[in-house]
Amino acid sequence: MVLDFNSPYVFPRHFDRLFQEFFKSSFGNERKMAYPPINLSEDDKIIYVRSEIPGVDIADIELTLHDKSLVIKGERKAAAGKYLRQERPAGAFQRVVTLNVPVDRDKVGASMTDGVLTVTLPKAEESLPKKISIGVE
Amino acid sequence: MSAEKNMPRFRPVTDIIEQEDGFLVSMDMPGVAKDALSIELNDNELVVSGKTAYDFGKAESFVEVQFGNGEYGRSLSISDMVDRDNIKAGLKNGVLELFLPKLDKVQPRRIEIKAG
Repeated sequence: MVLDFNSPYVFPRHFDRLFQEFFKSSFGNERKMAYPPINLSEDDKIIYVRSEIPGVDIADIELTLHDKSLVIKGERKAAAGKYLRQERPAGAFQRVVTLNVPVDRDKVGASMTDGVLTVTLPKAEESLPKKISIGVE
Repeated sequence: MSAEKNMPRFRPVTDIIEQEDGFLVSMDMPGVAKDALSIELNDNELVVSGKTAYDFGKAESFVEVQFGNGEYGRSLSISDMVDRDNIKAGLKNGVLELFLPKLDKVQPRRIEIKAG
């Protein structure tokens, strides 16, 4: 029985990869450091945490908001069967995002589209910049 | 077009599992919508390609960026034992699942010998 899922002639691909890796931006390197990859951003009012977690249902992701951090926890389950090739990560994962401003705990939202988790954390009222008017006497 | 050329290209990580009646191929393609995904079958090569369309807010300032827009592309050579007409594909939670059923004729068959 011959199961040929990929060309045995892989050298040009390796070569391509070498070039790609050479010219890759720094985010390509960080990608390998921790799983899952996280994007962290903020605007005036909200902190956004986005993460690529394909193959996991939102119901199976555990989000915990601690005093100064957000913990994303979950598990990627591997299907049973005879693996001819296994590249996808499997098993439990966890990432901790440290938050430097207090957030409004009651208004935290999370959604998942196409394997991308988005958590929105509105900044607490007291941490928003305030305008102080100076009265001229 | 030039903007598309600058998108990083990824080979989606892939699992191939042999089952009794076929092969299950799973590819991680987070951020790819159904419309942005294409699967083509030429002769014995199955080509999967997709593109992400993240539209992060312009007003946001990024503290940490570990993923971004990119193009996924991967081709698989399929063996003759796959029933090409009945390949099934589904996309769920950013994972493309392809099912490649085995042809009936691959199942062992008894050959009768006629006496001359």
